[in-house]
Amino acid sequence: MSNNIVENLKKEIDNFSLQLKIEKVGKVMEVFDGIVKVSGLSDIKSSEMVTFPNGEMGVALNIEEDVVGIIVLGDFSKIKEGDEVKATGRILEIPVSDSILGRVVNAMGVPIDGKGVIKATKTYPIEKVAPGVVTRQSVSEPVATGIKAIDAIIPVGRGQRELIIGDRQTGKTAIVIDAILNQKGQNMICVYVSIGQKDSKLRKLGARLEAGGAMVYTVIVSAGASEPASMSYIAPYSGVAIAEYFMDQGKDVLIIYDDLSKHAVAYREISLLLRRPPGREAYPGDVFYLHSRLLERACRRNEKYGGGSITAFPIIETQAGDISAYIPTNVISITDGQIFLEADLFYKGIRPAVNVGSSVSRVGSSAQIKAMKKVAGTLKLDLAQFRELEAFSQFGSDLDDSTKKQLERGKRAVEVLKQLQYAPVKTEHQVVTLYALTKGFMDDVPVEKIKEFEAGLIDYSERNAKVFYKEIVEFKMWTEKGEEQLKKAIADFKSSFNK
Amino acid sequence: MATISNNDIARAIFSLSKGKSHSELSVVLNKVAKFLFRRRLLSKSTEILSRLSQIINQEEGRTVAKISSVEKLDHKTKTHLEQALKKRYSTKEVILVENLDQKLLGGLKIEVNDEVIDFSIKNRVGKLQEYLTRQI
Repeated sequence: MSNNIVENLKKEIDNFSLQLKIEKVGKVMEVFDGIVKVSGLSDIKSSEMVTFPNGEMGVALNIEEDVVGIIVLGDFSKIKEGDEVKATGRILEIPVSDSILGRVVNAMGVPIDGKGVIKATKTYPIEKVAPGVVTRQSVSEPVATGIKAIDAIIPVGRGQRELIIGDRQTGKTAIVIDAILNQKGQNMICVYVSIGQKDSKLRKLGARLEAGGAMVYTVIVSAGASEPASMSYIAPYSGVAIAEYFMDQGKDVLIIYDDLSKHAVAYREISLLLRRPPGREAYPGDVFYLHSRLLERACRRNEKYGGGSITAFPIIETQAGDISAYIPTNVISITDGQIFLEADLFYKGIRPAVNVGSSVSRVGSSAQIKAMKKVAGTLKLDLAQFRELEAFSQFGSDLDDSTKKQLERGKRAVEVLKQLQYAPVKTEHQVVTLYALTKGFMDDVPVEKIKEFEAGLIDYSERNAKVFYKEIVEFKMWTEKGEEQLKKAIADFKSSFNK
Repeated sequence: MATISNNDIARAIFSLSKGKSHSELSVVLNKVAKFLFRRRLLSKSTEILSRLSQIINQEEGRTVAKISSVEKLDHKTKTHLEQALKKRYSTKEVILVENLDQKLLGGLKIEVNDEVIDFSIKNRVGKLQEYLTRQI
């Protein structure tokens, strides 16, 4: 046994070849709040990694004539004045491999879930220029989130960037968890980037995904609230680097940035400490570029360039519903649409609290399947009209029949779009429910019985409209024959339900 | 207001004192000292002086190399080193500053400006340790 160890050690030492090279070094002049000012390091590049004597890594951000401003990625308490800083010649990169799936890693790609090391096959730079126009193709395949309000009214396509925006505690994270859970069997890899979140929240989220069987296709990148701002700053870029690794294999990836408001705050902290001039709300001048270069990396590649896509769900937390603040307006203008969650709706019990009027998907409709397009085409307009009429009807009861009908339909639509957390609905089931709603089959069902009706209908139609289901699930088709069968199934179910 | 870098100040001092006679130089240096005092830059004087000596060396085609070793270097090694460094840095003159450091365990460590060429045993052992303890 001991002989074996000695032999192995000998072999390892024989294999070791030392290539001495000229190293560029600098000396620490100042250390404060995670920032290190270094003299020397004459040929350093922007975003180049440096090493400190205690083994910590840093990234060069400010390159000036005399000094280099470096952010420390880790514990800076042991770095002292006069310490030697070595340039590595490498731009900030993280290790990636297929075995990263199902793991929780920090912003440097180091596992923090206690499940051992991840054997890396490659390293990917965290900063990369977004794919060019030639390599892209337009969005045409849907991302099924399993949330009726989103899939029907604000559809998202593969390669799209859809912002989720709302106040605290309005269910932003709940939506993305449901979306991740619903990707099971959808040929999608999910990357959840947690920025400045509480560790307890992350633990809960991880357990939820594990219980739902979603961790096998998910990676969690975490920069916790207790970690330095530098980690929060690089975490989304690390996440997208992991996503790009899978996209380069032609896979579809869904990446969630939870949330970019905290990311902007972390960047503001770093920028102010680096003495960069503050602008509006004390954010630095390049805060728009901070997010635009990140979100531009979400794309759908054409077949010639290997296919694959990155769909991004950035999250922004607003203060008292103010979407006209600096960061929300920036990110709204960068993304291809937004899902606006409202605290008032949330407290009214309308969950997910999606404000259909303010939410929009600019490119997603072309990715919607034909059946969904057919049944949900007028839903957004109907709901918007319902909200208008609802406010108007408060003033009097003398309403004409068509208005009353519209109000009743609207109430049922709101009820249908309500959904429990962690209960994503399959697309085909959504189509059935929305068909029954828009064709007026639910008009005489009492509002409080809508949920019961919906559950029963799905169960009944699955058994009695097999042709319809086959067409939708397998061929993504909508035929008259299928529609007839569905119509009959709904009518049959309704007659038994009314009894 | 744009801040003046140490390099800017060192360059200015060099330009002002270049080609000046002894008496003129003392006036210039006096004014420089007053300027540093007025602008509260005296705390940065060490850094400014080191920049200044770098500029002077550069202008005069001199390179200062700090050589660290465990034992004193013999004449032959020094000449050999001088030749090699002259060639590498394309300079007229190389000034070797010797430094004895027992922690190196053996070998040499050459420091020129912000470049380090580390042939010491300590560095090799460190690299071997990194190699043997790497994550597989």
